[in-house]
Amino acid sequence: MASAGIDDVRAWILGRHPDRTTIAPDENLIESRLVDSLSFVELVYAIEGASGVEVDFDTIDIQDFQTLSSIEKAFFATTRIA
Amino acid sequence: MTSRMVSKLIDQDDRFLGILDRLTTKSIDDYYNPYKLFEWPQSLPAAMWWMSPELTTTHGTEAAERLTQEQLYALSRHESINFYSLNVHGIRELLIEVTKRIHTTGFETPSEFFHHFIGEENEHMWFFAEFCLRYGRKIYRQPVGASVEIPRSHVESLLVFARILIFEELVDHFNSRMALDERLDETIRAINRIHHQDESRHIAFGRELVTVLFEDVKRTSSDEELKEIADYLRRYLTFSFESLYNPQVYRDAGIENPLDLRRELLESPARVEFERSVFRKTSKFLEKTGLI
Repeated sequence: MASAGIDDVRAWILGRHPDRTTIAPDENLIESRLVDSLSFVELVYAIEGASGVEVDFDTIDIQDFQTLSSIEKAFFATTRIA
Repeated sequence: MTSRMVSKLIDQDDRFLGILDRLTTKSIDDYYNPYKLFEWPQSLPAAMWWMSPELTTTHGTEAAERLTQEQLYALSRHESINFYSLNVHGIRELLIEVTKRIHTTGFETPSEFFHHFIGEENEHMWFFAEFCLRYGRKIYRQPVGASVEIPRSHVESLLVFARILIFEELVDHFNSRMALDERLDETIRAINRIHHQDESRHIAFGRELVTVLFEDVKRTSSDEELKEIADYLRRYLTFSFESLYNPQVYRDAGIENPLDLRRELLESPARVEFERSVFRKTSKFLEKTGLI
């Protein structure tokens, strides 16, 4: 079962790209320019808001932010039901 | 962009050459030792404004009315540390970009001034970091993914110097006001005053360079490409302005739900006016040159 949090993150990205209606879990957000350096901080805040967890800027691993699937694994995995 | 064309444009521009000469002379005449200049008292009083209240992110909002005077002072303290931290990160990025270009093709003529620019920026970075570490015990971080990668293209140098200019003009809006604000401690006024003095040279230089670089880009770009540049710069203006609203600052000032406060402030009517006043001169310049 997918967590609600990742849906909020997806909705946040789609909200900034009215030309899009879906994002595949494995679509690369940076290569497809859905997220770039100017929106990266906002993405981090959107993840914090949806997960309730503070993201430590010093230990950010950019790999965790490549796809919705990697974001879910890194920040929402504990809320998943195995 | 052709590098040779840029040097040709600069070398034919008597106005720019005159300004370069004047700014270089002024850098030499006004040179000071920043490591001896400031007094750095042991501590600064907590129960006072650390930033002009009109320049804090809660000013004129409903949120400010919910806070006590003590909380507003604390918020101004943390916001000031965030402001100087943004300076530290901004200067790191501009030092990297200017250092990449000094004494390379296209930048032969401004390289003399680049030496002063790099030297002065290094010193600014030192006193801003020193202030943060002494009185805030930290420098607010920027996440790795936010250190901006400029796509390699023929407009790279234009975007780099336009970004540097936008950043410097944003900062100068704060410096010029805080330098004169008698509600602030003398140490705070002094670093803002000194930075404002040096930055007025850097801004004068930046405006000339950006104008010349854009002349070349305009000649060689399609309307579609020019629109992309304008869109990017508009986004960069918003990005820079919103970096003043740091949830970590609200958290450190003891505010519950910092992300909610940030959203409330960014959506408040006061934000629109604040952003307009911060970028009043910058937008006018960018519009006049046709960049946005």
